[in-house]
Amino acid sequence: MLEKTMLIKMNQQAHGTTMFQVLSEDQIEQIYYAALDVLEISGGRVFHDEALQLLLSSDAVVTDKNRVRIPASLVTQALRHSPGKASLTGRNGKRSVNLQKNEVAFGSGADAPVVLDRKTGQRRKSKYADVAAAARMVDYLPRLDFCMPSGLISDAPNAKTSDRHQFVAMVTNCTKPLVVSNIDVGGLKDQWEMACLITGGEKEFRLSPLFATYVKSESPLEYRADVVDKLLFAAEKGIPALYVPWSGLGATAPASIAGMLVQTLADNLLAAVLCYLKKPGMPLIAGGIQTVMDPDRRTFFYGSPELHLTSAATTEIFKWLGILNSSAGGCTDSKVVDEQAASESVMSIYNSYMAGSNLIHHIGCLESGQNGSLASLVMCDEIIAMVKQIGNGIEVTDETLALDILQEVGPAGEFLTHQHTYDHFKNWFRPTVIDRSDYEIWEQNGSKNYNDRLEPMVDKILETHRPDPLDENIVQEIKKIVSLADQKEV
Amino acid sequence: MSTRTNQTVNQTARFAVFSQDQKQRIFEGMIETLRNTGVQLHHAQARELLKTHGALVDGERVRIPQNLIRDALATVPPVTIVQSWDGTRKTRIEKNQVLFGPGPTPPHFTDPYTLERRKYLRKDAALVARTCQALPNIGFVQSLGTISDVTVSLADVYEFAEMIQNTTKPILSWSYTRDTCRDIHQIAIAMAGGEEAFKRCPNYVFYGEPISPLVSDFHAMDKCMYNAEHGIPQVYTPCCIGGATVPATHAGQLVCAFSESMLGVVVSQLINPGTCVIMGGVQSIMDMQHSVYAYGSPELSLMSAGLTEMAQYAGLPMFSTAGCTDTKTLDPQGAIEAATSVHSAMLSGANFIHDVGYFESGMTGSVLQLVMADEQIGMSHVVARGVEVNPETLAVEEICATGPGGNFNGSAHTRKYEALHWQPSLMDRQSYEDWQKQGKKTMRDRIIAKTQDIIENFEGPLSKVPEAAKKKIAEILEAAEKREAKKVKKE
Repeated sequence: MLEKTMLIKMNQQAHGTTMFQVLSEDQIEQIYYAALDVLEISGGRVFHDEALQLLLSSDAVVTDKNRVRIPASLVTQALRHSPGKASLTGRNGKRSVNLQKNEVAFGSGADAPVVLDRKTGQRRKSKYADVAAAARMVDYLPRLDFCMPSGLISDAPNAKTSDRHQFVAMVTNCTKPLVVSNIDVGGLKDQWEMACLITGGEKEFRLSPLFATYVKSESPLEYRADVVDKLLFAAEKGIPALYVPWSGLGATAPASIAGMLVQTLADNLLAAVLCYLKKPGMPLIAGGIQTVMDPDRRTFFYGSPELHLTSAATTEIFKWLGILNSSAGGCTDSKVVDEQAASESVMSIYNSYMAGSNLIHHIGCLESGQNGSLASLVMCDEIIAMVKQIGNGIEVTDETLALDILQEVGPAGEFLTHQHTYDHFKNWFRPTVIDRSDYEIWEQNGSKNYNDRLEPMVDKILETHRPDPLDENIVQEIKKIVSLADQKEV
Repeated sequence: MSTRTNQTVNQTARFAVFSQDQKQRIFEGMIETLRNTGVQLHHAQARELLKTHGALVDGERVRIPQNLIRDALATVPPVTIVQSWDGTRKTRIEKNQVLFGPGPTPPHFTDPYTLERRKYLRKDAALVARTCQALPNIGFVQSLGTISDVTVSLADVYEFAEMIQNTTKPILSWSYTRDTCRDIHQIAIAMAGGEEAFKRCPNYVFYGEPISPLVSDFHAMDKCMYNAEHGIPQVYTPCCIGGATVPATHAGQLVCAFSESMLGVVVSQLINPGTCVIMGGVQSIMDMQHSVYAYGSPELSLMSAGLTEMAQYAGLPMFSTAGCTDTKTLDPQGAIEAATSVHSAMLSGANFIHDVGYFESGMTGSVLQLVMADEQIGMSHVVARGVEVNPETLAVEEICATGPGGNFNGSAHTRKYEALHWQPSLMDRQSYEDWQKQGKKTMRDRIIAKTQDIIENFEGPLSKVPEAAKKKIAEILEAAEKREAKKVKKE
């Protein structure tokens, strides 16, 4: 060994991770200014009485009953009060999703009407048991950090209160933090009350929320009453809310990518103002699903590269503004788990992750969001691990440069039996479904392709994984809230 | 009207593995390794050349002082242009100019009709070249196999002869020896229409390979010298196996790979300062469970991007790797692994990104995988080219005129920018019902159909090859056969 005395290499700056950037800061500024222009010149429409009252008593200009224009000063005020940090805590008490700049969490989703029945092989409506199974899967899969309902619940006793059942299916089967979706503010209120039972109270929930709520809007810059209801309730109770406007390039948004980014940003900023006027300080998680759409079917495409690009770009814009954000990933337009599903899932996960999106949801969605797939969840879990491995970057130190090892082994030598290899190879990615055996062994094992290996793995997880149960007393309390809602809404 | 000043624009997405300091450390690691550890060089003439210029030679071990490396880097050309034999296509080899293409020499080939793994045949070389010609996102050509049905020692020459007549995209050729390297050169000259025309603008790039760790065998160096002498652009890059032939840490692996390529850079520039030489190679790890060189690992993506940054730092063009997989059959694994590496390589800005279409850890070539990756490259390109931001694309007027919840369908602005949206050729976006009506085809079915359609219906440039060139190629092959037959007799 060489003697080493006081060796220090000074003034070194390293990339701790791989760095990725779509927009320059100047480009982000242009998009931001343009969005402020849109809010001042044309604004939005708000179909909600309380919100209109709040706006009327602010610096906003309200005309034509519900047309709202917002001065830039009000937007910047709202942004100043938006916390750049929040966190979600699972019912296991682990504060496992840190919502803060450049920190990424992945989760399932969302609200798909159909599933593939794994027993019959039939495509049918999604039921309680399917949402529960997906939640159990999320609980098991190491790279999924939160659970969002994979599907709708068609077998609920009351269609108007099926969102409460989604919550129960998730919270009883998954110990990780949740993202809930709800039919209306009544659903959100019940879900929040159930969550408060678990966290120990309203203040405790505000301190360590068990869930964030998903607020979807399909009409850009129009704020429907049910959407505003949910936002204002979330603002009041300190529930982190994912605001997700959906828009189609050249259909409900301009066909140019930059124009779409401007409209989505303006849409989010107005939502931030509404929440701020209700009660400053609510963690609004900005977002947007911006993609191409089929104008006739009004269907959004879940696998387009335009979605992958806009997800990265909006993430960068929100990061620059200091607001939390979400984007979609691990979803596809394919009807089955095939090469298309794989390609589109990789591209969306890769770009959203590298951009640093806080919550990447919709993992496991097939058929442009119509089908929630357990097999795709398992596939995406592996894809996430691969992408993270690339995102980790390359460490450059004396130990990793290994110049002395290289000299010791020398030309034409081998490293397989060297201690240095033994010390470091464990840091490599280890496949789960992916197969690297050689051809002969693969043939001996039945020439199984990726799907042949994936499906039994899904079955095995479903058969064997049992999440820690939720306290039986709490389960009883929760059930009371649900059955009360079921009866009331009839 | 107010105007904008002081604007920096990302004209494409930007991606970086290393900081400047990290790149400098790896660069210094390469300098130190070549000076202290040195390389094993099995070529007396090359050793002599290096010795005359100040290298320390001890038996076959050659230690290279840093001034030799600096001098070599100073003369590598920043831009090289390769022109197709018919003059229709110019390929620039310069920093951040990205091209994708297949790889060379797997022993097996996936038959695009039976889908069985079989030996690679002479006709496959033409088929691969023609398929590459048809695919819009494939920018250069390699064979995806080693021809098994010709004189063994001439598989390289037959491959080149078949490929160059079936594509105008640049070929990255390889050869066994200096003899076959010359045969290939002669064929290229015949296609260019003479030696002068070839010298003005070469029509192919040569691919040569040192051996990890830190060895250059006689033939690798001999071919490198031939190509340098004749001004043929060349790749001089190793396949490094992390944890087996190089250290298990990525930084150490890159130092090793960089050093191995650098020997080719130094020798080529000593022989012919200004000749184009390209660094890079295949950078991945040994799968410790299966003892297989993992072509689909995320480490391959990461290290290839890292090494690309080192090439850019040193001012050298880069030969990188992507679109390859450890799967044995066309399946989602191949799609996952290819999409991951394709996007990483695209963002890194490497010049020639090869091995697109490799199955089974490089043991089988597949045009099906190639056709699939072509679509993935198209998707990656949409993200890579970033967002154009200007008053027209920002569309404030358009948004305000349309108003909240508005309909942008059919406006002039929409018509203009809609044309820029990506059009899939293999990705399905139908409704479930339509998809069901059309026979529930998966992407695999569509890939197979598209590949067979190209094979059956795409007309390559073969009919445009001048008769004189065809005749000359036949003569070159005949002469090569005679020469090899003599060699066999001698033995």
